[in-house]
Amino acid sequence: MSSVLVVAEINDGKLRDASMELVAFAQKVAGGSDREVKSLVIGSGVEAIASDLAGKGGGETYLVDSADLANYSVEGFKKAILAAVEAAGADLVLFSNTPTGWDVAPRIAANLDRAFVSDCTNIEADGSGFSITRRVFNGKLDAQLSVAGAAVATVQPGAMEPFDGSSDGAVTKLDVDLSGAKAKFIKIKMSESTGIDLTKADVVVSGGRGVGDPEKFPEIILPLADALGGAMGASRPVVDAGWLPHAHQVGSSGQVVTPKLYIACGISGAIQHLVGMKGSNFIVAINKDADAPIFEVADVGIVADLFEIVPALTEAVAAAKG
Amino acid sequence: MKVMVCLKQVPHQDARLDVNADGTWIDDSNIKFEINSYDTYALEQALQIKDAGDAEVVVVSIGPDRVTQALRTSLGMGADRAVHVNDPDADGSDVLGCAKILAAVAKEENPDLIFTGFMSDDGNSSAVPAMLAELVDMPSATGVLSVEIGDTVTVERELEGGALEVVELPKPSLVAIQTGANQVRYASLKGIMQAKKKPVDVKTMADLGVADQAGTGAVKAKIEKIYVPPKSDTAEILEGSTGEVVGQLITKIKELGLL
Repeated sequence: MSSVLVVAEINDGKLRDASMELVAFAQKVAGGSDREVKSLVIGSGVEAIASDLAGKGGGETYLVDSADLANYSVEGFKKAILAAVEAAGADLVLFSNTPTGWDVAPRIAANLDRAFVSDCTNIEADGSGFSITRRVFNGKLDAQLSVAGAAVATVQPGAMEPFDGSSDGAVTKLDVDLSGAKAKFIKIKMSESTGIDLTKADVVVSGGRGVGDPEKFPEIILPLADALGGAMGASRPVVDAGWLPHAHQVGSSGQVVTPKLYIACGISGAIQHLVGMKGSNFIVAINKDADAPIFEVADVGIVADLFEIVPALTEAVAAAKG
Repeated sequence: MKVMVCLKQVPHQDARLDVNADGTWIDDSNIKFEINSYDTYALEQALQIKDAGDAEVVVVSIGPDRVTQALRTSLGMGADRAVHVNDPDADGSDVLGCAKILAAVAKEENPDLIFTGFMSDDGNSSAVPAMLAELVDMPSATGVLSVEIGDTVTVERELEGGALEVVELPKPSLVAIQTGANQVRYASLKGIMQAKKKPVDVKTMADLGVADQAGTGAVKAKIEKIYVPPKSDTAEILEGSTGEVVGQLITKIKELGLL
């Protein structure tokens, strides 16, 4: 019997939430076929985590435990994963689409000469192959793909609720030769921040590429944020273009915010931005494009020119405050 | 030192995306194209190495005739020469097929460093760079925001929540650059004039010995259809004049207790 192998991730000495979502994903795929769910835990001194996972839905759980794996390294992790894929007889290998997943998963596919599909939102078993859904064009379109044989895939974090069932799996230690790595882990550090803490603001008003011009941020976006006593955020393209410092960035690579009110101006809603703001209590989206993905997470949407709406709203807020 | 930069030409970020007649990709017959945004940062990173010393920058791209424009732009920005894999069969390649084509080019070029963008703006797979590294047996780092070149290459990988992972790579290595890593230059007029004399090698998959390894026939992950995602949940859309819409918003903001 073939299997679905979950490559679990450890963060700060604990299993990542995304890994339990991945278990749910794997259980769903396996449930629709005659595959078994198996898991892999990689790290240093992580046997307890592997035992825990084996009982929480991970099924038979492989463990590659070595002091050399205390920190992520693409070469070390690759060897551990290849050993587990073979031991598990896995024809579907699942990773979370995280910095570890996107760094190593494509290598596994290339090494095994298998299909690779990243950032999947759904996978269904289809005989000996798979039918897979993922987003393309920065979330504007969905693609449905078919894979005839074995596959390696990364799954979008948040695509499923974490698994809350149980399993009765054993932990199997794998001995893997980790020698010969050429890349060297040096350290983890925090990027410099100018100290803007968007996470504490009750209101965040963010601008995206649709604002069009760096000067428009202090002219249009900031006054609304100020009027509401809030902070100004931005989407990644704005920061990448140097229009605003990184400290303003909302998203998976910036700050994750959950204010009482989030106003997205000229932001189409790429997944990496949505991850950073969809937990907000109330979301207003202002965008000219009615099909923009931002309207899917917004409570209230306005399909219009932000240069008309935002200044008028700023004035109205000021007037309401008297 | 030789730096190979992999570039993809993609639909312009503001292009209208209509699904094509057979529903398997967008209708790209009448839209503008541009160099993938991530790849512009990769090219800039390579050009900075060239500016700082002695490096040859070779840009490589797969695609039809229109890709010539992207390559000319890159040469205008300062790249020394270009390799254009122009083969109608290559167009249908999936990520592994593209990686195999680029690996064949890398084996011919034998670069000290390969720079790529971290992802493409169309497929969003973020797969080809790591696959290419695996196929040519190079260490790699993806999602990189800074690169320091000495005897070795020290890079900072972007993780989550503002964390960076510092990794030291030997040469040769592959580095997949994240957007925002640098300030991308524009091609100067002088650069554009000089670019006209710079060589562009055009190759087919057969030239590279990968005719049966990539292209439509070798696809492992086949796109069956693309479509506008069904809206799982849609916002309440406010209608009316600017004054009316703003009035409704003020009511909502008051309900939230923020006014």
